[in-house]
Amino acid sequence: MSEMAIKLENVSFSYPTNEGEEQKAVNGVSLGIEEGSFVALVGHNGSGKSTLAKLLNGLLTPTSGRVLVYGVDTADDKKIFDVRSSVGMVFQNPDNQMIATNVEDDIAFGPENLGVPREEIIRRVNWALEKVGMSEFRHATPFKMSGGQKQRLAIAGVLAIKPRVMVLDESTAMLDPKGRDEVMAVVRQLNREEKMTVVHITHYMDEALGADRLIVMNDGKVMLDGKPADVFKEYKLLTKIKLDVPCVTRLAVTLAEAGMDVDPTITDEEALVDSLCRLL
Amino acid sequence: MQIVVKDVNYVYSAHTPFERHALKGVNLTINEGDFLGIIGHTGSGKSTFIMHLNGLFKLQSGEIDVFDIKLVPDKKNKSDLRRLRGTVGMVFQYPEYQLFEDTVEKDVAFGPKNMGLDDEEVKKRVKRAIGLVGLDYDDVKDRAPFELSGGQKRRVAIAGIIAMQPKVLILDEPTAGLDPYGKEQILSLITRLKQECSPTVIVISHDVDEITRFANRIVVFNDGKVMFDLPMNELFRHADELHAVGLEVPKAVRIAQKLRERGIELGDVVSLNDLLHAIVTAYNKKHMDEPVKTDVSFSAFDFDADGGHVCTQSGEDKR
Repeated sequence: MSEMAIKLENVSFSYPTNEGEEQKAVNGVSLGIEEGSFVALVGHNGSGKSTLAKLLNGLLTPTSGRVLVYGVDTADDKKIFDVRSSVGMVFQNPDNQMIATNVEDDIAFGPENLGVPREEIIRRVNWALEKVGMSEFRHATPFKMSGGQKQRLAIAGVLAIKPRVMVLDESTAMLDPKGRDEVMAVVRQLNREEKMTVVHITHYMDEALGADRLIVMNDGKVMLDGKPADVFKEYKLLTKIKLDVPCVTRLAVTLAEAGMDVDPTITDEEALVDSLCRLL
Repeated sequence: MQIVVKDVNYVYSAHTPFERHALKGVNLTINEGDFLGIIGHTGSGKSTFIMHLNGLFKLQSGEIDVFDIKLVPDKKNKSDLRRLRGTVGMVFQYPEYQLFEDTVEKDVAFGPKNMGLDDEEVKKRVKRAIGLVGLDYDDVKDRAPFELSGGQKRRVAIAGIIAMQPKVLILDEPTAGLDPYGKEQILSLITRLKQECSPTVIVISHDVDEITRFANRIVVFNDGKVMFDLPMNELFRHADELHAVGLEVPKAVRIAQKLRERGIELGDVVSLNDLLHAIVTAYNKKHMDEPVKTDVSFSAFDFDADGGHVCTQSGEDKR
């Protein structure tokens, strides 16, 4: 069993409401994120997944329970910098994360704040830009870029802090298909080559397919947790909690339910084509 | 009635280092009753184009005629613009960011009020619009828009446009950022709005699979020009050309092509629903003794298709 990057112990979180009544956005969640794994986290709007993401790097601290990042409790104010430099976060809207008027400055912002020496900052900026494939844009201005480019830039900004875990909170939601592919390619590569632990929160079930592990949130709780192909076998349950399965699986499910001898748990397009060739 | 666009050009930041020619001689005719999809990758000019249709961008050159309201460069005519905005309703990307009033009712009333309608008419329209987008008027009217879930907020924002009863409804990436269920709700809502409110609908989307669900005609923008303007079933025969400009064909077209390569011909398939129907039909032809169900539909979620409740009860999926 490899080391745990992040551990959640019976974590609950409630947002304060006007009426004084508390509603738990996250309700008694316990789980461990293994070092080096690629975890996808899905749930419908309001299922608590974004709240969970913010708990992972101490942007929110649990109302009850503990979140440990490499053994450090995120509720410990004195150690919050350790937590934030271990867990980097990329948000949904890249425009909200750009702070400088040129790319280099923007990426240098994180390490500068951590007091990293100048020479090292330059090295990190170069490295981060190369990792996201944007070296040629180093002097460009972020505001004129495409969504995919901006989001890769945001990832580079997080990389420059050299975190061990990267949390992507619906970071592909605002992008066009091309931008989405660009960002996912970069994230997968970081996971493979840099052994970066990735927690990817998404609405796109097709993106979740590529993960090592898929966690499904519903009503503030973990409802399903396993290999994506296994989780998608629960397609009935997923539909009930307002989620879907990948497109190919949905086709297979529909045909199986109509009465055809198709495996409803197919996730691969070629496999679907194969079984159709057999039947038609 | 038609929208006729002739030789429209548009240049951003002219005479500066950031000058960009966003529209290069666009010609297009949109007919009343069209369900038009517009696709094109980021920066292709599609958003710039639709902003011209309700006068958000001043025409730099060319001419536009929207249901007999004529727009030409350098013409200042406030009453025309006012009429235009009442004729063409525009739902921007992430429209919920534009909600600003402290109650849903006031927010939806903003548009019709600005049109100078009397209070009674405004109230009537607000009530109808909120119902049309599938929310319960009595339940939501006094609530702050910010208390609602993401999908509900978006529907309130759409209600604000619908309340102006535009003849043409334009939606820019209407499902962006929503979860699968919220997406389905908005998609069935659009179909319903076309039937019951705005007979001409134009939708911009990155998602070709989504556009095949409803459009009868697709316009492809590339590099500021109209690259294709075709009925949907014809467009995707140009897969290679689309691919060259960074656009994918719908999944159903791709799967049908793979089957074709292996000797199974399903005919004209564009949407995932087409694909499913073609598959079960082909299956039943071969297995006449044991036919399967033919009323298949791709959607995971069931909504009342003819105007019943597009959404579920109030209070769903709030945080």
